[in-house]
Amino acid sequence: MAVSLWGALRAPRWWLGALVGGCLAALGAGAWVLATCEAWEWRSGWLVGGGGVHLRLDGLSAFFMVLVAVIGGAGGAYSREYWTDRAHCVSAALGRWWWSALVCCLGLLLLCSNGLHFLIAWEGFAVCAYFLITLDPRRAEVRAAGWLYLGASHAGTLALFGFFSMLAARTGGWDLGPMRECGELAPLFWLALFGFGVKAGIFPLHIWLPSAHANAPSHVSAILSGVAIKMGVYGIVRFSGWLPLPVGAGWAVAALGAVSAVLGVVFALGQHDMKRLLAYHSVENIGIILMGVGFAMVAAEHGAPAWGALALAGGLLHVWNHGLFKALLFFGAGSVLHATGTREMSRLGGLWRAMPWTSALFALGAVAIAGLPPLNGFVSEWLVFLGMFDAVNQRGVALVAAIPAIVLLAMTGALALACFVKVCGVVFLGAPRSPEAVGAHECGPWMRGPMLVLAACCVAIGLAPVAFWPAMRGAVIAWRGAWANVPAPESLTALGFCHVALAALAAASAAWLWRRAHRVGWMPGVTWDCGYAAPTARMQYTAGSFAGIITEWFGWILRPEIDAAAADGVFPRHARREAHTPETVLEKVVEPVARMVMWVSGLIRGLQHGRVQAYLFYVMIGLAAGAIMAVAWNP
Amino acid sequence: MSGALDLLTGLAMGLSLVALGTSRLPSLIRVAALQGVVLGTMPLVMEHDLRAMVVVVALATVVMKGVVIPVLLRRAMRTANIDRDMDPLIGFLPSLLLGAAGLIGAVLLARWLPLLPEHHESLLVAGSISTVFSGLLLLIGRSKAISQVCGYLILENGIYMFGLLLISSTPLLVEGGILLDLTVAVFVTGIIVDRIQRAFDSLDTRKLTVLRE
Repeated sequence: MAVSLWGALRAPRWWLGALVGGCLAALGAGAWVLATCEAWEWRSGWLVGGGGVHLRLDGLSAFFMVLVAVIGGAGGAYSREYWTDRAHCVSAALGRWWWSALVCCLGLLLLCSNGLHFLIAWEGFAVCAYFLITLDPRRAEVRAAGWLYLGASHAGTLALFGFFSMLAARTGGWDLGPMRECGELAPLFWLALFGFGVKAGIFPLHIWLPSAHANAPSHVSAILSGVAIKMGVYGIVRFSGWLPLPVGAGWAVAALGAVSAVLGVVFALGQHDMKRLLAYHSVENIGIILMGVGFAMVAAEHGAPAWGALALAGGLLHVWNHGLFKALLFFGAGSVLHATGTREMSRLGGLWRAMPWTSALFALGAVAIAGLPPLNGFVSEWLVFLGMFDAVNQRGVALVAAIPAIVLLAMTGALALACFVKVCGVVFLGAPRSPEAVGAHECGPWMRGPMLVLAACCVAIGLAPVAFWPAMRGAVIAWRGAWANVPAPESLTALGFCHVALAALAAASAAWLWRRAHRVGWMPGVTWDCGYAAPTARMQYTAGSFAGIITEWFGWILRPEIDAAAADGVFPRHARREAHTPETVLEKVVEPVARMVMWVSGLIRGLQHGRVQAYLFYVMIGLAAGAIMAVAWNP
Repeated sequence: MSGALDLLTGLAMGLSLVALGTSRLPSLIRVAALQGVVLGTMPLVMEHDLRAMVVVVALATVVMKGVVIPVLLRRAMRTANIDRDMDPLIGFLPSLLLGAAGLIGAVLLARWLPLLPEHHESLLVAGSISTVFSGLLLLIGRSKAISQVCGYLILENGIYMFGLLLISSTPLLVEGGILLDLTVAVFVTGIIVDRIQRAFDSLDTRKLTVLRE
């Protein structure tokens, strides 16, 4: 499994070969475990940090391993053209090194079955990701994003340190494994939920996510969004499977998921930066995944394997799907950034002429992420929906929560569709808004290839969902062994046929249109010129105006900052309007709290002023207090 | 016997008050030295059977606290060329009043403390607490390094007085060790005083704040 990639720091060709080879090996191992449903386990007497090495690849970790392998390999290939030695003479080699290290750490994280080693791999992965985010440290916003990421990540890691050490203290060893019968471990789940939730980017804990994803190089954003945040999900799923669940944990996870899903997409709608928008969609999709996982936990609590397995399978399949299409979208955004040098949507436009491949593949990813039928996003959301519908049919306690959850999930899908119509419309259609957009060029084969691979995966899952059921089943069995005999829902097969039919129909109509266009020929004309004699590119809808209505609905949480000078009078001189959606949670909650902490710390710091006399006075006060305490408690 | 001890203790307490009230450094050093001598004679008064060891330690205390340390301090004072603590952090009168309040507090505290029956009558506990308090007050209230060294000396004298309560059970060797430490400390401070004087052109320890962090 472990393939040495380190020697390839100076030889990019070898590096890529070794990386792809290692990823293929990991993919093979993961697929084999998923196919046979047999966990691979390896114990060794070799001690690391006082614990024997214990590796295990069961259905759940194999499921995530496949994702790591696919995105790790694809991103490595993409970076070959995107982050070249010529353009980034120092950071390209460093980027390759850290990329390999990150992929290895992620693999180790999934393999480790020892709390201490898990923490080591977790920390290694966080540090590798930090160095990848700050590959271009000359830009101040990159450094700020890196610090924010590192700080937030360590806040989460602190919780995990608490979690694992308490776990070890109560079980008497670092070894991990199913321990559902020890009821006293249940409260620890909340600690794990916080620690993994920071990494996963659940709504109030997502503060690091937008800036890190937006400022990292695009292939790094892809692995961060596609894989790294999924490790948080992995942790939550892993330990909700192994530990006993406290009362209400499933409800809490599902509620957090619903909040993340809706608010993630709402914040995405307010963004003008293409990659920041995609980053907020990660929050949304994590929300969808957690809704599935949360309902599965509720089902486990109430002993309802039928719909619980469906919800869990849907959530897990969405892990794959989101990894695939989000990496595809980030690669697409990276191509745009590479071609034009800007992520600002209001400076782009009309790119489909110059970048047909990127546009088509981005549009495919957009259709997938919006959860539209023939592609994979629909399949996983369908499974989650199916689980919730069955929960409603059971008429149990879950009924009360399932109906609002269904409504919220449907709303999320609709808003995501609106958001991606905005992105595709503003960036790829219309007329170029700036000279950079005019001078765009198509990306090369090394960037296009990985995008094609990911797009093919999306299409494959969309058209043949039944073929992927065994993988989901393997992961579900690893989570709850008792759920082994839940059959594949019949509708999944039907869904596959519908998708094939739909895709065939779409292909046929596209072919028909194409032939007709060739026969009749194109006739260029002005669209919707509204009576203007000379329309300019500046008259197009901007990213902000496109989503204006929806951002107004959610103004209570988005708190958009609008700076406008309205046109008034008969001959208005000057009119202007700028709208900007801030990082509400970060700027309105975390920063004030942090400022208060700093202020209090500043007051305390005033005690240290260097005057010996005052220090002696503190000593005297301390002595007196100690004496009083000693007398008061020991009469 | 107890009367003589109480007399000496009272003398030491009075001397610490004098130390609090004086602004001239030579008299401060002299007061500290005198207190050391008074303390040095205490074991001779206390012990019923004078062992050779006790006599040696008492003599050593008198020599160290009464002669060696004052000589070192006076030399440091002369090199630094000052003889007054001009601007104390706590004024002379307030520190005198605080010292007196501390003395009364110490006497009350000594009555209230759960002491062994044989120590109840002795003034030694109250004297020790008030001397420690006076020493701390000097350390906190004065700005010149030499006054602070004197404060430290007086503080140590208070601790020594407390140690006398246990003279029958504690080996005086421990006290001897403390005395040696003290001498070295004063020696080092004497050198530091010289250095501070050269570097800052003043002995005001408040100016050391530029050295923080």
